[in-house]
Amino acid sequence: MTISDISQRPRYLAGGNVYLPHIAVIEKVIEETPTVMTFHFNFKDKKLRDEFTFQSGQFGEYSVFGIGEATFCISSSPTRRDHFEVALQRVGKVTNAMHRLGVGAEIGFRGPFGNGFPLDELKGKNLVFVAGGIGLAPLRSLIWNVLDNRDKYQDISIIYGARSPRDLCFKYDLEAWGKDKTVRMTTTIDRAAEGWTGNVGVVPKVLEQAAPSPRNAVAIVCGPPVMIRYTFPVLEKLGFKPEQMLTTLEKRMKCGVGKCGRCNIGDVYICRDGPVFSFAQIKGFFSSEY
Amino acid sequence: MKKVAKQDIYKILDQWRKDFTVFTPSTKDGAAQMAVWDGQDRSFLEHHRNTVIPPKAGIFLNMEKLFGFRKDAEGYKLEVPAAENEKRLIFGLRPCDAKALAIIDLVFKDAYEDNYYLNRRKNTILVGLGCTNPYDSCFCTSLGFGGPTDASDCDLMLTDTGADYIIEEVTDRGKELLAKTEGLSEANQSDEASAQKAGEAAVKKVTRKIDVETIKRNFPASFENKELWEKLAAKCVSCGICTFLCPTCYCFDINDDASKGSGARYRNWDSCSFPLYTKMPVENPREEKWRRVRQKVHHKYTFYPELFNIIACTGCGRCIRLCPVNWDITQTLTQASAQAAATEKS
Repeated sequence: MTISDISQRPRYLAGGNVYLPHIAVIEKVIEETPTVMTFHFNFKDKKLRDEFTFQSGQFGEYSVFGIGEATFCISSSPTRRDHFEVALQRVGKVTNAMHRLGVGAEIGFRGPFGNGFPLDELKGKNLVFVAGGIGLAPLRSLIWNVLDNRDKYQDISIIYGARSPRDLCFKYDLEAWGKDKTVRMTTTIDRAAEGWTGNVGVVPKVLEQAAPSPRNAVAIVCGPPVMIRYTFPVLEKLGFKPEQMLTTLEKRMKCGVGKCGRCNIGDVYICRDGPVFSFAQIKGFFSSEY
Repeated sequence: MKKVAKQDIYKILDQWRKDFTVFTPSTKDGAAQMAVWDGQDRSFLEHHRNTVIPPKAGIFLNMEKLFGFRKDAEGYKLEVPAAENEKRLIFGLRPCDAKALAIIDLVFKDAYEDNYYLNRRKNTILVGLGCTNPYDSCFCTSLGFGGPTDASDCDLMLTDTGADYIIEEVTDRGKELLAKTEGLSEANQSDEASAQKAGEAAVKKVTRKIDVETIKRNFPASFENKELWEKLAAKCVSCGICTFLCPTCYCFDINDDASKGSGARYRNWDSCSFPLYTKMPVENPREEKWRRVRQKVHHKYTFYPELFNIIACTGCGRCIRLCPVNWDITQTLTQASAQAAATEKS
């Protein structure tokens, strides 16, 4: 692959400096699961608040000053602009520090970086969203984006799973999508649990049972690596071509803009060439280290 | 071309010192590296060999403050260090290291500009010195540029002819600098001939070779050969020396240092030799050593050419002569390419 032209992407660089974060203020905190929190935030600078745009699937570099910076997709939709959202699982240094922050606390934000989902190519298609655990966060941005422009798309199915009922993120969204008659919503948990009357089974299995048609369809997949690895073969079995399967990849990142070196898979830098790729692209990657 | 007697070069440096912070190769702090010239040091006249620490260290700093932050009643305030507008001149860097800067410029310029690096780069004049005494680990002549006396990535280029330095004006800014410099004489035909002879002799001294055309053709296919890479990486101790001292390695980490709400964010050199470099909370794509060694060599010889159309190696040989376990990139490239070609055939 040769280096992709990313000159058209919007850039909001504080002081023209790619490493300098914008200051943002946390406006609301939602406890999604025992280990996941969603933060609603907004930029302190009014001009930026008004002008900032992004695409579903793009990511930011979030700072807790004094602790460090980490990479997460923006989990809200660009169609809902009064604030921005990010959902974080407590797993590392920065996410632990973020979880200790409350309303009114200030964080740093650099971005949006990366390519985002190819919205134009999804128009007029049947969309199949397949997500596991915190993997719903980046897809959620796209799902609301699509639902807010409902007439531009055909059938919408969402298959979402988590380990247990209490590990389901965005329960308020699951409920809203469940009630939406234009959405085929399937929620599942890995193993049977007390009080749970819904589907039981891991996401790839439930996807196989639901058997969405590949005709004029695009499947958008995100979840833990193990889920993604088992989901692609199921989609292929259902007749989806690699070009009809999208996912968003995750690697350790520092700069977010293709310089610091670590997020590559062969000659592909996830931060500047991704994070959204089709399975056809991934299959052509130089390395199988995805 | 101009010339100056070698013993008078410090008079030239003295003039340049009025307008620039002048860096010269120096061993005064133990390891040979570029250091601010104090007006006295002449050790670079005796030390004819390339520095241990590459000159990239003066532009892409080992540790650099990106910004400071402090918290007051109104919230966080960020302060970016004032842009360094200091005019700098690096004297005596070797063509391989000048080429290396041209190579890593591509990353720092790409798409989002890295002002910290680019600003310093823009303010630095490079006065190269032809390498008339290469190490036996050097293999620059194999990398498709002019080798030990190639002038193309410097502003001025000096060639040591024994008693004199012959000075070639390469860029406009080099020319301008020289026009303002006193104490130089015009090089005559015989000076130019001796410079050329010194250059040709230097090329002959570089005896280590790699076959770049064969490597370009066969090496990429060695990637998925796990057993081969396990073997090639077996003695590596993951110390990172070959990356820190490589003039084309540019990977970095970003870290905060703070107490009581104020502190700073720094950028530091990092290395793909370390497992932590790619470690994520739940998994690590390059946990195993062979994957990291493979990444390092393929980045330079497969991925970088794919992206920027140039090999990210100048044959400076530091990763060979400074490696504590004698790992040798030329052997790795040759063996992996041969193995890949053999596998292809069978």
